[in-house]
Amino acid sequence: MAYTAKDFRSSLKPIWCPGCGDFGVVTALYRALVNIGRPPHEVAFISGIGCSSRIPGYTTAYGFNTVHGRALPVAQGIKMANPDLLVLVAGGDGDGFSIGGGHVPHAIRRNLDLTYIVMDNHIYGLTKGQLSPTTPRGAKTSSSTYGSMEDPVNPLLYVLAYGAGFVAQGVPADMDGLTRMIEEAIRYPGFAFVNIQSPCVTFGDPEDQMKVQKTKMRKLAAEGHDSANRLRAMELAQEYGTALYTGVFYRNPNPPATYDSQIRARQRNQQSAVTAAAAVAA
Amino acid sequence: MLHDLIIGMAGSGGDGIVSAGESLMSASAKEGYYAILTKSFGSQIRGGESSCRLRVATTPVLNPGGALTVAVALNWEDFLRFGGELPVTADTVVIYEQKTGIEPAAIPLSVRPAVVLAVPIADLAMKSAGTLQAKNNLVLGLLAGWFGLGRQAILEGIRKKFGRKGADVLLGNERAYTAGLAYADEHPLAAEKRLSPPQTDGRKRQVIDGNEMCATAALFAGCKFFGGYPITPATEIMERLQREIWKHGGSLLQAEDEIAGIAAAVGASFAGRKAMTATSGPGLSLKAEVLGLASVVELPLVCVNVQRGGPSTGLPTKSEQADLFAAAFSAHGDTVRPVLAPISVEDVFGVTVEAFNIAEEFQTPVILLSDQEIAQRKDIVDPIDTSRFKLVERLRPIGRELEGYTRFRLTESGISPISHPGMKGGSYLAAGIEHNERGEPCSSGEMHEKMNDKRLNKLKPLQRRRDLFLMEGDPAATIGVISWGSVAGVALEAVRTAQAQGLAVKLLIPKLLYPVAEEIYQEFFASLQRCVVVEQSHQGQLHRIIRMWTNVPREFMSLARSGANPIAPDTIVRRISEMARPATRTTVTTLVPTLSNQ
Ligand SMILES: Cc1ncc(C[n+]2csc(CCOP(=O)(O)OP(=O)(O)O)c2C)c(N)n1
Ligand code: SF4
Repeated sequence: MAYTAKDFRSSLKPIWCPGCGDFGVVTALYRALVNIGRPPHEVAFISGIGCSSRIPGYTTAYGFNTVHGRALPVAQGIKMANPDLLVLVAGGDGDGFSIGGGHVPHAIRRNLDLTYIVMDNHIYGLTKGQLSPTTPRGAKTSSSTYGSMEDPVNPLLYVLAYGAGFVAQGVPADMDGLTRMIEEAIRYPGFAFVNIQSPCVTFGDPEDQMKVQKTKMRKLAAEGHDSANRLRAMELAQEYGTALYTGVFYRNPNPPATYDSQIRARQRNQQSAVTAAAAVAA
Repeated sequence: MLHDLIIGMAGSGGDGIVSAGESLMSASAKEGYYAILTKSFGSQIRGGESSCRLRVATTPVLNPGGALTVAVALNWEDFLRFGGELPVTADTVVIYEQKTGIEPAAIPLSVRPAVVLAVPIADLAMKSAGTLQAKNNLVLGLLAGWFGLGRQAILEGIRKKFGRKGADVLLGNERAYTAGLAYADEHPLAAEKRLSPPQTDGRKRQVIDGNEMCATAALFAGCKFFGGYPITPATEIMERLQREIWKHGGSLLQAEDEIAGIAAAVGASFAGRKAMTATSGPGLSLKAEVLGLASVVELPLVCVNVQRGGPSTGLPTKSEQADLFAAAFSAHGDTVRPVLAPISVEDVFGVTVEAFNIAEEFQTPVILLSDQEIAQRKDIVDPIDTSRFKLVERLRPIGRELEGYTRFRLTESGISPISHPGMKGGSYLAAGIEHNERGEPCSSGEMHEKMNDKRLNKLKPLQRRRDLFLMEGDPAATIGVISWGSVAGVALEAVRTAQAQGLAVKLLIPKLLYPVAEEIYQEFFASLQRCVVVEQSHQGQLHRIIRMWTNVPREFMSLARSGANPIAPDTIVRRISEMARPATRTTVTTLVPTLSNQ
């Protein structure tokens, strides 16, 4: 059965400020899910807390809006308990790289087949404009009146360094590109990460807004980047915060076995060992 | 002849004292005795002092007991480090290493036991086996010879244990054991101290600790997911489950921390499977936020907390009952999470199954408060009749309920059918944010009140679950005792002893600690003038929680002490007989709850 975006859109009206980049993200996600073609009830969509983390509620998937920073562990439990599900995880840069930052490396090294979407707006939106882990040094926010004294984390380099098999970056200013990369991330068999530069119109930097993105963005494909080249991907990722690259930084050409497939294998082996032992005993 | 024998032994790490205790334990099980084995260590990873206590009896053993019948010291420094854990009285037979150079009259104890035996343990081991490593088997020979503990079964145990290690090693250890037997035969005790022969019904009993029992019960209850992080003294639950859970079609995650462990378990429960996490005090603190999430999204979950001495790292290898406040109250918001506590290793089975059942039936996280003693002591347990247990599954939506599904429907019982991903028509948003019946975020005060009503009222039937309480003794007694967890086994023995001494007393053991079952306590209190709550925490946490929720008897006292200070049955018997004396006007306990640390 073919689905349309309407099948994935819930009746809830988003609480987001008009113009928030997250509107573009959810629209791209509907489109990607249409292309994937799994029924909504087979999709589990997990988030933390933040403006961006409201996103599961705007879909018809099974949504779980958990607590701040813990979306990844909850999602891993779901995927382990039922590997048949399509499991999506989403949240903000604060949710994923500050309070939940400690969970990211472990989700990556375990390599469950999950898609993790971060709506990176360089600010804490829901709590009204404090420093986030990706706020640039010097930025003045409601919690850094005289300018931030810290360097931001680099989400792209972070996940590449831990060995994520699929790493991409998109912008709502390029809906087609964004849709395609979410779809590819979902199709990648393993942990896939999509960083979306999703502007906060209310508390964000004017330089981060969609209009500026349109002029600043550089498509990796057009730059001739080979997405199988991890070291080159890391080099390009170094420019996070200065150059705005979009597209797939890295896709492992030989995806290793996922954790969920190993779970299945172990269950089968252990269960047949029990059956064999019972047969011997009988 | 004795019906009940308590042996306490201590030495340094390499002496193999604990391994000797384990050998005695399996021999006792084979012979048909009941027993409890507790081990105690310093907090060093390896080496350091170690000790064990074995209480062996012809009838089921309720607790590790108080004063020792027999004390074995391989050196006095290590023995004395265990203080109150190895109490010696004038009646204790003391056996110690002659090589310590201390005269029997000069042993460093505050009491003067009548029988003190200096035995050349190291010399005899060297002579018979050619190695000091055989000292523990020599001690086994002494104990078997003097106290009539399964001579043959111990020998079989030695053969099984050392058989694989080569003929020389086996022979040496056998020789050490026989040398011990011979020494005991050549030096008979003045007074008869032999244990009566066992009474067996032929059923095969098992030797098992509380953590292993918990894992076994969880699998029986249908647990299909475990998420956790190692912490003493709870780790063995995870270690045991990771060997077995796959065979049951389940899976297990050793997470990066306690938060991730419980978060993954909540995820698995959301995905429709029975899930569990296990930890100790510091981990429980970390899990608090996600427990709140499980309450608000109404997902079943079992969280085991094996209590150790706290706060912080505290006494990680010793038992305490001081996490009751944390279990009952560490939630934010208006939440009640059922808290259950088992009273023995055998009881861990039933209480764990109950924890899963309550979690499923009421769609709530349940905290299972075990303690280090129960978790890590070994009991000889009769086979468990699993046909006694019914397994409960969460209410799931069917038929029409899946059209326009409302996950949090306000039903009369407060329980609404719960779907899971993959179920067509059952999609909903599980949100930590307050929600309406459909699960949609909602900040109306009216809806918040209704949802709080739902989440709190649905648990009310629990407070009438008499089967989660044990009552023993004279229902009309004016003196009462209340106790919980591992200490309840001590109280049970004390109350029986007091009754045998002609005192009218009754005992209440709650296995459901929270929410407080007001009616059940009120009924228990009806005949009482005096009541004491016996527990192992400095503040007397159950004593205080009961006072918070019930009208307590006029004299409602606390017999409480910090962890690592075992409470012996005698101490409670003494308190009961004091309570049996007529009241004097100087009783202050009505005004000030005693925080007596006696
Ligand atoms: C344990 C905890 N601490 C703090 C908060 C408050 N809080 C909610 S969202 C948030 C940060 C939001 O920023 P981000 O994750 O980047 O998402 P955004 O709102 O920008 O989409 C904070 C600090 C919370 N809900 N829970
Ligand atoms: S505050 Fe910013 S991130 Fe939040 S909804 Fe408004 S624009 Fe979007």
